[in-house]
Amino acid sequence: MSLTEGFEPKIIAFCCNWCTYTGADLAGLNRMKYPENVHVARVPCSGRVNPQFILRAFQKGCDGVMVCGCHPGDCHYSTGNYFTRRRFMLMKRMLEYNGIDPGRFHARWISGSEAAKFRDTVAEVSERLRKLGPNTKYREALREGADAGKGGAGI
Amino acid sequence: MSDRQEKMRQSAEKLLRDGEVGYVIGWGATRFCDRTTPVFIDSPEGAASLVWNEHAVNSLAKYLLDDKYPDKKIGLFARGCESRAVNRMIKDNQVKRESLYLIGVPCDGKSSDRCRLCRERNPLVYDVLLWEPEANAAPADRFERVRGVEAMSPDERYRYWGGVYDRCIRCYACRNACPVCSCRECYVDMGRTGFQGKQHSRSDNQIFGVTRAFHVGDRCIECGECERACPMGLPIMGQTQKMLKEINELSGEYECGLDADSDSFLGRFDLDDKDEFM
Amino acid sequence: MELKKDRLLEALALLREGSDVALPLPADDGGEPAFRLWDGVQEPFLGSNTSLPPKELLFPRSEGMYGYNLKTGELSDILPEARTAVFGIRPCDVKSIENLDHAFLEKGYVDSYYRARRDGLTTIALGCSEAARTCFCDSMGVAPGDAPGADLMMNDLGDAYSVKANTEKGEAVAKLWEGLLSKGGAKAPAAPACGFSVKADDSLPDRLTARFDDPMWDSLSKACIGCGCCSFICPTCYCFDIGRENRGACGTAFRCWDSCMFSDYSRMAGGHNPRPSKKERLRNRYLHKLAYFSQRYGATLCVGCGRCIDKCPANLDITRVMDMMEGVDANG
Repeated sequence: MSLTEGFEPKIIAFCCNWCTYTGADLAGLNRMKYPENVHVARVPCSGRVNPQFILRAFQKGCDGVMVCGCHPGDCHYSTGNYFTRRRFMLMKRMLEYNGIDPGRFHARWISGSEAAKFRDTVAEVSERLRKLGPNTKYREALREGADAGKGGAGI
Repeated sequence: MSDRQEKMRQSAEKLLRDGEVGYVIGWGATRFCDRTTPVFIDSPEGAASLVWNEHAVNSLAKYLLDDKYPDKKIGLFARGCESRAVNRMIKDNQVKRESLYLIGVPCDGKSSDRCRLCRERNPLVYDVLLWEPEANAAPADRFERVRGVEAMSPDERYRYWGGVYDRCIRCYACRNACPVCSCRECYVDMGRTGFQGKQHSRSDNQIFGVTRAFHVGDRCIECGECERACPMGLPIMGQTQKMLKEINELSGEYECGLDADSDSFLGRFDLDDKDEFM
Repeated sequence: MELKKDRLLEALALLREGSDVALPLPADDGGEPAFRLWDGVQEPFLGSNTSLPPKELLFPRSEGMYGYNLKTGELSDILPEARTAVFGIRPCDVKSIENLDHAFLEKGYVDSYYRARRDGLTTIALGCSEAARTCFCDSMGVAPGDAPGADLMMNDLGDAYSVKANTEKGEAVAKLWEGLLSKGGAKAPAAPACGFSVKADDSLPDRLTARFDDPMWDSLSKACIGCGCCSFICPTCYCFDIGRENRGACGTAFRCWDSCMFSDYSRMAGGHNPRPSKKERLRNRYLHKLAYFSQRYGATLCVGCGRCIDKCPANLDITRVMDMMEGVDANG
């Protein structure tokens, strides 16, 4: 498995301001250790996350994407995460249908007090991605040097 | 056939003469006898140019979005597909029922592959019905193509869709032809926001394709206009049909545009929706 | 001179030794016939013209322009090195390349990316022996059987192609093919009549621009759905947008096809759009094809290939505006 040897996945986690982001903060306060592969992006509600964010993240080089929000019933805005739930149940299936490994996209409910759950989830996702190796699907091809000039017919 | 065409002309002429409608949207002739183009008739005399034959393929409903606040009612010839689009548009607050005069024209079948999935030839909503309802033909297996893709391995699926989107020329005909694609400004046209890369690359094309499907998939009335409009003949309904298939599996029998009251799947929620994200 | 049809692939293989060879190739797995790079085996698609124009050979859908590094301030040019011979290009499309030359190489600015590809391109034209019903090139000043702008002109003689070099590049190809060519004095059969004809004389540009505010543009554009299909399959539409893709401090500027039918094409900083609806956009496109370009370069941009008529999702027809202008003079 030379492809995955020494590979450190890049993960972006869209975290709801009112729960998971606070939970991640609590994990830090408690000096919990979790893999540094994860980059936390704070959003006002998990319902703010647009499927486009996930596609764009894969395109720009992420190996895995997480969407984390409040447990159903706990949404700061009452109903935001119910929409999240439907939206990403579909999105998850669409990604698989388009050939993306299900291990690359995760949605989770993590409350502000569940620091340990945040740590465990990140560890689990990052371990899974380490086995999967780098993501190449949806990844944009970077033009380099003279190669970039070769276009011509039949792209 | 010509009898029906005559009925349509008479009906449009009368509506225009009585001042009931400002104009009528129908089909007219082109240079080629096997093609029609949408026409907008605004005078009683003009009604004589209306055409009805098996080549009246284009769905007319989308044009309602060009004129959301008309001075007078818009007359629209409505088959099953137009009426479902109108239902969807009313629910999405795009058009008002009272600003439309729907002239029901039960569809006698068109020579287009877009009608492959047609399950409703007769208008579901109309102000007048010009002739007797038609018997619905048995549609093709609704999700056959989706199952074909599902049967592939993940890498094969990725290659399949990659191959499809490699041929996409990003003309956005699919978007513009879709009657439920109704944003005033499309995210694609917001060039500098970075939502959608503009390069004609596999990656940008794929992301456009999946995003488009996601934006309309849960409101899709399965009229097939996107595929008909595609100049490259890409099987892009495979994406929206997948959305519908999954919605059917998640929330029971689901079909859009059958009435003007039903929420779209992503526009509502149930407290006891399935939860996979615990 | 003539080239026997059964030796065509041999001739193309010879060409392929020195450069890439692009051919009209049939739809691969459900796609549309288009000019693609030849793999040395496939049979060319010569039954009718391709759905996609050959402009990609000179003006790719997306191409890198230059790279940069913000930390070091380095800039690197990305200039294409393409040597391509294209076979099977039709007279209308040869004319379209002449038009692209006007746009990219004249009036004081030479587009270096286009120049590089253009210099490396050899055009081997094939005269039409059958017209599609959407063809109207002879109304637009193109002879379906002859392409004087091509490097090498070939015509179908039945079991052979006539071969005539027009330029030095063409001579070079003829020389390369020396062993395959045989003497043949057969005259090419008369070119076929186009599918239909329209009246597009020298006064059309002025007559059209005089009607800029005419209500006819409302009626012409109503059925338009506002997609960019016509621009992208048009052999002479050459508009592009420039963008950048960044990774950290490094990045590349690229350009990609754009269409005047899109709302963001003419949107200005601050949000004002001088062409706010499809009426203005369609008018601009038609006038560019039939009037503005002629007024600037003395050549009609529309070459009469008929692709847009064939593919328009709303079955719009650019020749309708020409028909409407018949008998209308510039003053009235």
